[in-house]
Amino acid sequence: MFRQLRQTSLAIAVAALLAAACGAPTPSASSSPGASPSAGGAASTLVIDRDTSDLISLDPAVLYEFSAVFATHNVYETLVKFEGTDLSTIKPGLATSWDIKDAGTTNDITFKLKSGMKFASGNALTADDVVYSVQRAIKLNKSPAFLYTDIAGLKADSIKATDPTTVVISLPKTASASAFLTILTFTIGGIVDSKEVKAKETGGDSGSAYLLDHSAGSGPFVVDHWTKNTEVLLKANPNYGGTKPTLGGVLFKQVPEPTNQQFALEKGDIDIANNLGPEQVAALQGKSGVTTTTADSLQLVYVGMNATVKPLDNVKVREALRTAVDYDGIVKDLLKGNGKKVQGIIPRGLAGYNEATPFQADVTKAKALLTEAGQTSVTLDFLVPTGQAPGGVAFSDLAAKLKSDWAKIGVTVNIKQTTTAELLATYRAQKGQLVMIYWGPDYPDPDANVGPFTDYKAKSIGWRNAWDDPTIAQKGRDAALITDPAKRAAAYKDITDYVLHNGPYVVLYQPSELFGLRSNVKGFNWSSIGWAELASVTK
Amino acid sequence: MRFLGFLTRRIVGIAAVMVGVSIITFAISHVIPADPVAAALGDHATDQQIEAFRAEYHLDRPLPEQYLTYVVALVHGDLGRSIRTRRPVSDDLFDSFPATIELSLAALLVAIVVGIPAGVWSAIARGRLPDHLVRVASLIGGSIPVFWLGLIVIGLFYYQLGWLPGGARIDTFVTPPPSRTGLFVIDSLLAGDLDALRSSLLHLVLPALTLGYFSTAVVARMTRSSMLEVLSQDYMRTARAKGLRERVVILRHGLRNALIPTVTILGLTFGSLLSGAVLTETIFSWPGLGRYATAAAIALDFPAVLGVTLLAAIVYPVANLVVDIAYFWLDPRTQRG
Amino acid sequence: MVNAAAVSVRGLRLVARAPILSNPLNIVAFALIAVFAACAVLAPVLAPYDPLLQDLGSRLQPPSAQHWLGTDSLGRDIASRILYGARISLIIGVVVVASAGVVGTAIGLVAGYLGGLVDEALMRLTEVFLAFPALILAMAIAGALGPSLTNAIIAIAAVTWAVYARLTRGQILSLRRREFVEAARAMGATQTRIVVRHLLPNALAPLMIQASFDLGSSIIAAAGLSFIGFGAQPPTPEWGVMISDGRNYISTQPWLSLFPGLAILLAVGSFNLLGDGLRDAFDPRLSHSD
Repeated sequence: MFRQLRQTSLAIAVAALLAAACGAPTPSASSSPGASPSAGGAASTLVIDRDTSDLISLDPAVLYEFSAVFATHNVYETLVKFEGTDLSTIKPGLATSWDIKDAGTTNDITFKLKSGMKFASGNALTADDVVYSVQRAIKLNKSPAFLYTDIAGLKADSIKATDPTTVVISLPKTASASAFLTILTFTIGGIVDSKEVKAKETGGDSGSAYLLDHSAGSGPFVVDHWTKNTEVLLKANPNYGGTKPTLGGVLFKQVPEPTNQQFALEKGDIDIANNLGPEQVAALQGKSGVTTTTADSLQLVYVGMNATVKPLDNVKVREALRTAVDYDGIVKDLLKGNGKKVQGIIPRGLAGYNEATPFQADVTKAKALLTEAGQTSVTLDFLVPTGQAPGGVAFSDLAAKLKSDWAKIGVTVNIKQTTTAELLATYRAQKGQLVMIYWGPDYPDPDANVGPFTDYKAKSIGWRNAWDDPTIAQKGRDAALITDPAKRAAAYKDITDYVLHNGPYVVLYQPSELFGLRSNVKGFNWSSIGWAELASVTK
Repeated sequence: MRFLGFLTRRIVGIAAVMVGVSIITFAISHVIPADPVAAALGDHATDQQIEAFRAEYHLDRPLPEQYLTYVVALVHGDLGRSIRTRRPVSDDLFDSFPATIELSLAALLVAIVVGIPAGVWSAIARGRLPDHLVRVASLIGGSIPVFWLGLIVIGLFYYQLGWLPGGARIDTFVTPPPSRTGLFVIDSLLAGDLDALRSSLLHLVLPALTLGYFSTAVVARMTRSSMLEVLSQDYMRTARAKGLRERVVILRHGLRNALIPTVTILGLTFGSLLSGAVLTETIFSWPGLGRYATAAAIALDFPAVLGVTLLAAIVYPVANLVVDIAYFWLDPRTQRG
Repeated sequence: MVNAAAVSVRGLRLVARAPILSNPLNIVAFALIAVFAACAVLAPVLAPYDPLLQDLGSRLQPPSAQHWLGTDSLGRDIASRILYGARISLIIGVVVVASAGVVGTAIGLVAGYLGGLVDEALMRLTEVFLAFPALILAMAIAGALGPSLTNAIIAIAAVTWAVYARLTRGQILSLRRREFVEAARAMGATQTRIVVRHLLPNALAPLMIQASFDLGSSIIAAAGLSFIGFGAQPPTPEWGVMISDGRNYISTQPWLSLFPGLAILLAVGSFNLLGDGLRDAFDPRLSHSD
C-alpha cells in the first residue's frame, strides 16, 4: 500500500523533473522573462489586451500579421509615412523630400534623408541602412516581400545609396509610383540598424532569427521581450529623435477571450481592450471609468459569385442577387452598428472611395431582373467560413440572413460551412459558386483592392470568381499609374461604378474596429491601415 | 538478467505504443481535405510562395516518404517545424509544457487534498448529511462541463467579487521568477522571490479548482467506496465493539488499505487532466499545451499536433517505467509481469 | 442458429434480478433520464417556438412569460433550443455508445476468445488509442475531417471504443475457463454459440455500466468540441454551441450560457447516477450507495 503511494508520488516527481528538463530554456529561446515593464511599472505602461496568437515574428522584413504590424509600427521608422489617421497624403518620415525623375525604362525616386538621426542603439542612421533594409527584405522573400518584388517590381540592385543621406530607388515604369510610396509606409519599409543586425546574422539568415523577438530600429519604442503566447513588451526608446513618448512602455497581453478582456478593462487591470465585440461594447456603456471608441478598418466583407457558373454568368442575375440583400438590416441588427454599409470595392479611408450604395432590399426589382434574365427559380451552393466575421457577427448568422433574403426572390442557396483553409482552397481553384469571405488591402492604395478585384491576370479575387473582363482590367492598371490625384480619383469613380453593377461581387459591409479604453487613456487614435501611434498616448 | 528482460519488454511496449500513436496521428493529419499551407500563409499568398512552403515542409512528397522522414528526424530529437509558428515544434513544446504541468499538478493536489478527506468523511458519516453533501458534490463534479464551470468561476470570483485574478499565470507587473523548472511556484521558491510566489499561487487557484473538480469527485467517490468496503469487514466490527482506541487504530489501518485503489485512480486521472487542460487553458488565458494543441488543430498544423500527441502519450508511461525501475532496484525480489 | 431474442431476454433477466429498483437514487436517475428522453423525442411538440426562428426585435430578453428561459442574441427562444438540444445530445450519446460499444465489444470478443497473437495485436491497438489524451485526439480528427457534429461524433467514438474492447476481453478471459463453457463444449456447441449464448450475457454487466457513464461523458465531450469550434456549428441548438454563443454575454445576459450548462449538468448527472446504480446492483457486496 505504501508502495502504491510511493509509486504515484515518484511518478509525480518524475513528471515534475521532466518538466524541469524541458523547462530549462535555451539561451536564445525568448521564454526568458526579461525585466519588469519599465521602472515606472503600472503607472507608465500602457497595457493592451489583444488576441496576439497571430504573431510569428517581429522582424519587419518577415512579419505580415495584424498584431505584428500594430506593435512593430511603433518600433521602426519609414522613409515616408501617413500622419495620424489620414491615409490620403504621404508625408515625410525619415526622408525630408523625394522627387521622381523619368530615367528611360524606370522612374528614379531620389530620397533625401534627415541628417543626424540615430538608432536606438546609438548607431547613426544613414542611406546604407536604408539600402540594407530593402535588400534584406527582398533577399529573405517572406510574406511581405511581394510588395517590393511583385507590386513594385524591385530587384536587389534597384536601390542605391549615392551619399550618406541620399537613396535612389529605380522603379520600373510598370509599377505605380504612388502605390510604391504607400508600400514604403508599411512595416516592410521599416529601416533596421544594419550594423547591429549584421553583427547578429547567423547562417545567412540576415539576422531574422535575432529580429524575431528583438528590435533594431529608430522608432519611439524598442522591443524589450516577447514571451511566446503570453506578452510582448515595448519600452520607450531613450535615443528617439522625435517627440519622446510620455509612456514608459506598452505591454501587449495575449488574452483571446473577449469577455476576459471586458472584465479586465472594467476592473482597471488593463488600459485598452482590443478585441471587444459589439455585445461587450454595449455592456460597457455607462460604466464609470471606461469608454469605447470605434474606427474604420479597411476590410470589406463580401460574397463572390462565380461568373462562369450558370445562371451567375448573366449580369442581370448577379444584379438581382445584389438588389435583394437587406444591407441596412445586416448593419443595424447583426452588426449592431459595428460596420458601415459599403457596396463598392474601395473601402472608406482610401482615395477613390465611392459612396454610392444603390442596393437595399428591393424584392420587386430583384424579381423583375430575374424574370428579364429568364430565370424563375435558382439554386446555388453557398460556401461560408466558420467562426466570426470581422465586425463581431458569426459568419453563419450572416449566411442565414442572406439565405432568407434571397429566398424571397426565389433563389435557394445551400449553405456549406467549412474551415477557412478548405474554403480558400476551393475558392482559389475557381470551384466555388457563391463564396462568403473578406478582403483587406495589403497597402493603403486603391490599387491594392482594384487590382485584385478587377484584374483576371493578377490571379487574385477576380480570377477566383472566374471574371475575365479585359477592359476593366486595363482601366484598373491604367488608373494605378496616374499621378495626378484628381484624374486618378475620376478614373477610380468610373471603375467602381462599373464594378458595382457588372462585377461578380455582393459587397456587404465595411467592419469597424472596436476598442474599450479606460477613461484616463488619451491620444489613442486608430489608423484603419492597422495601427495606432502609441507615442502620442497618455494615461 | 531478469531486470534487463523486464526493462526491454516495457521499453519495447512503450515504443510500440508510440509508433502506433505516431502512425495514427500522421494518418489523421494527412487525410484532411483542406490545405494547411493556404491557411498558414493567408489569403494573399502567391502560388509560388505556397509551392515554396510546401517544398520546405516536404508536403509535396508521397505519404510514406513523409512519414519516414519524420521518424528519422524524430529519432534525432527533431520534431519538425510548426506550420503555424514557423518555429521548431520542440521549442514550442518546451515553451508551453511547463505551464500545463504546473496547472495539472495543482489540480491533482486539489484532488488529493480535498478528495481524499471528503471521501473518508463521507464513508464514516455514511447515510448522514455529510455523506449526502459529498455525494451530491461528487455527482456534480463528474457531470459539469469544465468550460462552463470556468466561465462561471471567472464571472463570480474575478468579475463580481474581485477575490482572485481571472487569467494568466502571474500579475502583469510582477516579473516571473528566473526559469529553472518552468513552474512559477517552484521557481519562485528556489529564487526566494515572495512577490512572484504569492502572485503565481493566487493565479493558480481558480484554474486549478476548475480543472481539479472532476478529479476531486472521482477521488472522493473512490475513497468513499474503498473505505466503506474496509469499514464493513469483520475486524472493523470487532474493533467497534471493543471500543474507541482500537477503533481509531483500525480506522487508520482501514484508511491505508482504502487508499490503494484511490492512488491507482490518481495515476489514471493525471492522464485525463491534459484533456481538461485544453478547455481550461482557453478560458483562463493559460499559455500551456492545451491552448497550443487547440491552435494547432484549428490551423491543421500537423507537425504541432503530432508533437503534442507524442509528448502527451509518452509522459505517463515513461514516468511509470522510471518508477518501476526504481522499485526493481530497491527490491529485486519484486515480481514484475 | 443463435436465438438473439433468448440472449437478450437472458441479459434482461440478469438486470431484473438485481435489486435495481430498490434504491431510490436509481429511481431518480430513471426519472431524470425519462424526462430527458421525453424532451428529446417530443421536442417538436413541446417547444413553443422554432429553435431557429430569429426575432431581432426581441433579442436578449430575460426569462419572461413569453420566453420561459429568455431569448438569445438573435431573438431565438432559449427554452425551445434547449429542448431540441436534448434531441441532439441524446443522438450523440446513443450513436457514440452504440458504435463504440459494438465495435469495441466485437474486438474484445475476438481478442479474448482467440487469444494468442491476435489478442496481443488487438490489445496493443487499444493501448495506442488509450494513450491519446481523449480531447486532443478528438480535436485532431474533427479538425482533419472538418468541423461538424457528425465528425465530432466520429471523433468521440474513436476515443471511446478501446475501453469496451478491454472490458470485454477481460470478462471473456475470466469466463472462458468456467465450467459451463466446458460443459457446453462437451455437449457439442459451436464456438459462436458458446460466445454468444454463454459468455456474452455474463460479460454484459460491466459493459452496461460503462455505457451508462459514456452516455454522459460523450455529451460533455461533444459540448466541449462545439465550444472550441470543432463540433456542431451555429445555428444548431446543441448545448455546447449555445454556451459558446453566450460566452460574450456573461456579464449582462448570463442566462444565455447558464441554462444550456444546467441542461448538460442534469442530463449527464442522470446518466452518472444510473451508472452508479447499475454498479451497485450488479455487485451488491461492494455496497457503494444506500
